[in-house]
Amino acid sequence: MPTTTTRVPSTDLSQTQDFIQGVRARVGTVVVGQDVVVERLLIALFSGGHILLQGVPGLAKTLLVSALSKSIDLGFARVQFTIDLLPSDILGAEVLDQRTNEFRVRKGPIFTNLLLADEINRAAPKVQGALLEAMQERKVTIGNENFRLPAPFLVIATQNPVEQAGTFELPEAQLDRFMLVHRLEYPSRDEEREILARNAALGVKRQDKGAVVQTEFDVLDQKPVGSTEEIVAAMEAVNSIHVSETFVDHVVELVNRTRVHPDVELGCSPRAGISLIKASRARALMHRRAYVIPEDLYALAEDAMLHRMRLKYGAVAEGRTSKHVLADILRSMGGSAATPAGA
Amino acid sequence: MNCRGVLRAWALAALCSGLQAQDSSTVGMPARLRDLVLPGTELEVVNGDSRAPVALRIVAARPHGDGFRYELEYWGLDPGAHDLRPYLRRKDGTSTADLPAIAVQVNSVLAEPGLVAPHDPAPNVVPGFGGYRTWMVAGGVAWAVGLIALLAAGRKRHGVLRAAPQRPRTLAEHLRPLVERAMRGELSREERSQLELSLVAYWRRRLALDERRPTEMLSELRRHAEAGPLLQSLEDWLHRPEPARDVDLQRLLAPYRDLPAEVLETAELESATGGAR
Repeated sequence: MPTTTTRVPSTDLSQTQDFIQGVRARVGTVVVGQDVVVERLLIALFSGGHILLQGVPGLAKTLLVSALSKSIDLGFARVQFTIDLLPSDILGAEVLDQRTNEFRVRKGPIFTNLLLADEINRAAPKVQGALLEAMQERKVTIGNENFRLPAPFLVIATQNPVEQAGTFELPEAQLDRFMLVHRLEYPSRDEEREILARNAALGVKRQDKGAVVQTEFDVLDQKPVGSTEEIVAAMEAVNSIHVSETFVDHVVELVNRTRVHPDVELGCSPRAGISLIKASRARALMHRRAYVIPEDLYALAEDAMLHRMRLKYGAVAEGRTSKHVLADILRSMGGSAATPAGA
Repeated sequence: MNCRGVLRAWALAALCSGLQAQDSSTVGMPARLRDLVLPGTELEVVNGDSRAPVALRIVAARPHGDGFRYELEYWGLDPGAHDLRPYLRRKDGTSTADLPAIAVQVNSVLAEPGLVAPHDPAPNVVPGFGGYRTWMVAGGVAWAVGLIALLAAGRKRHGVLRAAPQRPRTLAEHLRPLVERAMRGELSREERSQLELSLVAYWRRRLALDERRPTEMLSELRRHAEAGPLLQSLEDWLHRPEPARDVDLQRLLAPYRDLPAEVLETAELESATGGAR
């Protein structure tokens, strides 16, 4: 059973929860809906994981990440992944300083707190590999020198699930590095109405001698509602969330069922269970609880497990998806359909 | 004798002289009859029998007075004297009765007795039991017996399987012993997990929430008058590090102690679980 680390007093938990609410409210001023995505981003941030967002263009992925970084006073960098991107474009490189005639290190955009890797599947595998290695080790080697990445360090990668021409699909081993893979959905009708109304009210901004049409990025309040210290406090608070033996058994049962399901060729690795528990703790904190409950497991199962399952060819040919199979597994939890009577 | 008679006499003389000069060959070897003048319309070779003793072809044919002058090539395949007339016919289909005999001699170069034909093989008697028909009948009978045996074995096995079906345990059957053990305080760690998940599954089926997303399903259960307090009590008992209140397991689990086996396998859930209220 995982033992809880240093218990954070409930007053501190309350402060952390207020901080989280403040961040969510701030992001909500520029991003309509997408509460679940904001929650997942904060879960990844507080539990030290990375997150891949899958969604069609135009769902405010970039705006969301930008709003989050400005809300918490974090460094933010965005890299648009393309086919001709090189590892040094992200990590940095040694350049010759002509004044001193010596090589000096020019750090790449990865040296930030929040890195948005936009359309990660458009870059060549060597670039993806370099980024994913840095994500895991949290350090970068440039020349002969190792550089530790700033803390906290969160990679938010995006991927368009529909345009696959000219892309390099992330293999399972690399997808496994992402703690969560969240699939964005279209906003509801009410949310969409609100988006259109807000956009129509943006107006024009004077700039130099001319003017430019304002975007949602222009209305982001630059003053952060939280500091890095509060993030550290939130990370400590996540670690203080109690995980019961029963919950661990739920996770073990769920992960094991993915390994014996007849449609699954490759079930979830232990890393899926680890991610589930970490993410559940963060979710519990965000829902003002000091302990995890089955709701956390059910809520995060898709994001933590779908990308770690590979279906058999026959199941795919029949039109089954990992989502269908996981839904089956979740429905079968607690049942014993396969157990013979009297067993 | 008029001019035509002179020509005919000359032609016959030429024919006789030509035949005398080229009318012999050996078996299988080609020989030619040149400048052979034959009266009447043009001749062609009859496409005849491949077993004929002579094979013939016309190498050249040129008009010559009332007839044609031919160059013939022949292969004698059987030794002896042969007449080439039967191998020729008129192109216009008229009779060849007016043709003179075209005699050739084919000699054998083999020593006596010449070509020896092989003896006809004597028919052998096939030894063994029966003939083809007997074996076919025997094979058919064996196949039919095998098929009947296989069908009989399959029916017997199917009958055995029907006699002892491996019926999967229903959710109620799965839940009942867990509840019993929980009430006696004998639940293992793993069984506690199973109990909670089974109770969630029970209420999910009872309220027909199978098609809902898991989070929506749990929210619905939380709002339900009976399932909500149950989940809250389970949460206090199983997940809360320091329970805010004591959980009375006897009272909490009593409604689930005697659930009929079919209770969650039928559509009439509400009526069947009236005792659980």
